Amino acid sequence: MVRAEAPVRARGVQRAAFIAAFLLPAVALYAVFVLWPLAQAFVLSLYRWRGVSPERTFIGFGNYAQLASDPIFARALAHNLALLLVGGAVIVCIAIGVSHAIHTEGRAARALRAVYLFPQVISMVVVAVLWSFVYNPSFGVLNGSLRAAGLEGWALDWLGSPSTALPAVGVVFVWHALGFHIMLLSAGLRTIPVEVSEAAALDGASGLRRLGSVTLPMLWPVLRVSMVYLVIGALNTFALVYLMTVGGPDRSTEVMLTYLYEQGFKHSEFGYATALAVANFGIVMLLSGVVMAAMRRDPTEGRA
Amino acid sequence: MRWVSLLLVVVVVAAGCSQGRNATSRGGASELEVAVFKGGYGIDFFETAAREYEAAHPGVRIKVWGSPRVWEQLRPRFVAGSPPDLCYPGWGLDHWSLVYDKQVIPLDEYLDGPAEGGHGTWRDAFEPALLRLGQHEGRSYMLPHFYSINGWWFNRYLFEKHGWKAPRTWSELIELCERIKAAGIAPITFQGKYPAYAVGGFLLPWAASAGGQKAVDDAQSLVPGAWKSPAMLDAARRIKELRDRGFLQAGANGMSHTEAQMEFVQGRAAMIPCGTWLHSEMRNQLPPTGFELRFFLPPVIDGGKGDATAVSIGIEPWMVPAKGKQREHAIGYFRYLTSLPKAKEFVEQKGTLMSIEGSDQAKLPPHLVGAADAFRRAQTVWSVEYVQWYPKLGTATQNAMAALMNGTITPEVFCQRCEDAAEQARNDATLPKRRVARD
Repeated sequence: MVRAEAPVRARGVQRAAFIAAFLLPAVALYAVFVLWPLAQAFVLSLYRWRGVSPERTFIGFGNYAQLASDPIFARALAHNLALLLVGGAVIVCIAIGVSHAIHTEGRAARALRAVYLFPQVISMVVVAVLWSFVYNPSFGVLNGSLRAAGLEGWALDWLGSPSTALPAVGVVFVWHALGFHIMLLSAGLRTIPVEVSEAAALDGASGLRRLGSVTLPMLWPVLRVSMVYLVIGALNTFALVYLMTVGGPDRSTEVMLTYLYEQGFKHSEFGYATALAVANFGIVMLLSGVVMAAMRRDPTEGRA
Repeated sequence: MRWVSLLLVVVVVAAGCSQGRNATSRGGASELEVAVFKGGYGIDFFETAAREYEAAHPGVRIKVWGSPRVWEQLRPRFVAGSPPDLCYPGWGLDHWSLVYDKQVIPLDEYLDGPAEGGHGTWRDAFEPALLRLGQHEGRSYMLPHFYSINGWWFNRYLFEKHGWKAPRTWSELIELCERIKAAGIAPITFQGKYPAYAVGGFLLPWAASAGGQKAVDDAQSLVPGAWKSPAMLDAARRIKELRDRGFLQAGANGMSHTEAQMEFVQGRAAMIPCGTWLHSEMRNQLPPTGFELRFFLPPVIDGGKGDATAVSIGIEPWMVPAKGKQREHAIGYFRYLTSLPKAKEFVEQKGTLMSIEGSDQAKLPPHLVGAADAFRRAQTVWSVEYVQWYPKLGTATQNAMAALMNGTITPEVFCQRCEDAAEQARNDATLPKRRVARD
């Protein structure tokens, strides 16, 4: 026993060293370029700092106290959550439908598969500029089509009016994110064994019943990943909003990161901006955690 | 997300490095580094001037570099304590924070020295009203180079075709707007996505016209009640009236500056408020025929108290970082740029106005003649300064302006929102309180 254990332990140590040798460079890089700036950001959020010199004043949790009672931050967060809940729901529904529709071998399906990732491969900057053209009240395609269809009254100032700006940006958010989620779900669909669907079909399950009782439960792990990506995407939206509306008009499209940018780079409140960054990080982690926890139970488990 | 966090990380990391290493000298012993904003006027002029300066000062090497977002590169350099020797950071950097944090030096001892070419002091070479914009507590930290005049614009050919004339008063404006509207053109367009244009082009000129320049000076100087004074309310009501009567182009609220300016250039709108950079900003879109830009001052209110000759201007200043290594040559080079011959050259090559007295004697492009005349005749020169002094007040007034132009708030609420923001600025202990200087 004793004699047998020693070499095993030695081999274990050797093995650990071997693994560490491979992990260490990555961990070191991660620590230097991710963890260290993150820790520094947290330290900076405890200061008042204009961000143009090394001079800064320690104010403890003053920035966080301000953040807790900042109505603009609350409003920006609400806009992020609206993008997540409304935009996310639309994305998931369409993505399930489309991935299901192209999960066949028809010619149309093949063509669709080639197309759905297009929005995803276009740079966000280009997306924002393209859609600004679409929404342009004077020569935009949207108002042009509405007028051509005789719907003059529906031709609105989409990005310029506080009541339509957020939905207008939300549509672009959905349009851009859709391809990625269709890809995820399509890949998920391919992992479902054909036998299972065929068995369900033989048992007389209708299309809808198969979707609800077979396909969705078996897609669960993929859906969970999809949800986490939605949380990250919706709460970290920046370029799209910044380029299309700069958070306006009158903050009606302000999101957390455009507010952060304004505080740091426009108002020279870098301490407060880093506090916003830390809060944003915390909220993303928290919500991702909630989603992971809520969807942890695999519905296919324990049904065999 | 990626680039905000990246920017933030750059600044944060620079902050982390700042204690340790101080500027290592780049290049040779006396290389001068000049960082400039690469906007519509490019950086070639500064590079040529650098070669000329090098020729006149053997042993000096000047490295001029520029970028359209130069402030993003300058900020971490300032934080890390290794800034260039001379900076023209453009509009994206908070200049006054640099002054308050002592990152740039006062230049008065040099301004009181001789000018390039030897006529009087260097200070005398500048237009005093422009020099004043870079002063704090009586000292000059920032120097002007070229400057812009803000006003309204029309297309000469469009106006001649219809027999219209640039309106000088409010009543003329209303009458003209009726006629323009009847011709099927939007009378006025504006850069709604950036409401600062409407604040500087509509609100403040009319407040000054209604209540005298003091109404605007007081608002900028945070005098209690100034943002809801009768003059400010009057100006806000006029904006609402233009909107309600359909004189403001429909849809302009969501337009960026280039989109609105395109509407104007293409003749779908007849007038637009903008600075004298309008021509260079739109030069690739200007129609080859039937278009010539003409400048006029915002129409004044009939019987108003204000100075009808008042002109609003803006500068993009140059500064000398406190931690620069080549102070004497940095100043020498900039002094060379502000010499009368170089100033005239800049006016002629770039088609903009220069802060150097006498430089308007150069050959001006047609679109600048009206603006330069207005500046020469002006008895009052003012500038939107409060946005740089109190950035949060700037944002608040701009957001309120967007709401006013959308019709979601009344002029009364607009003024109250501005006054509330001014009250917050008054109570903000972190920012020095400033006053508009007048002699």
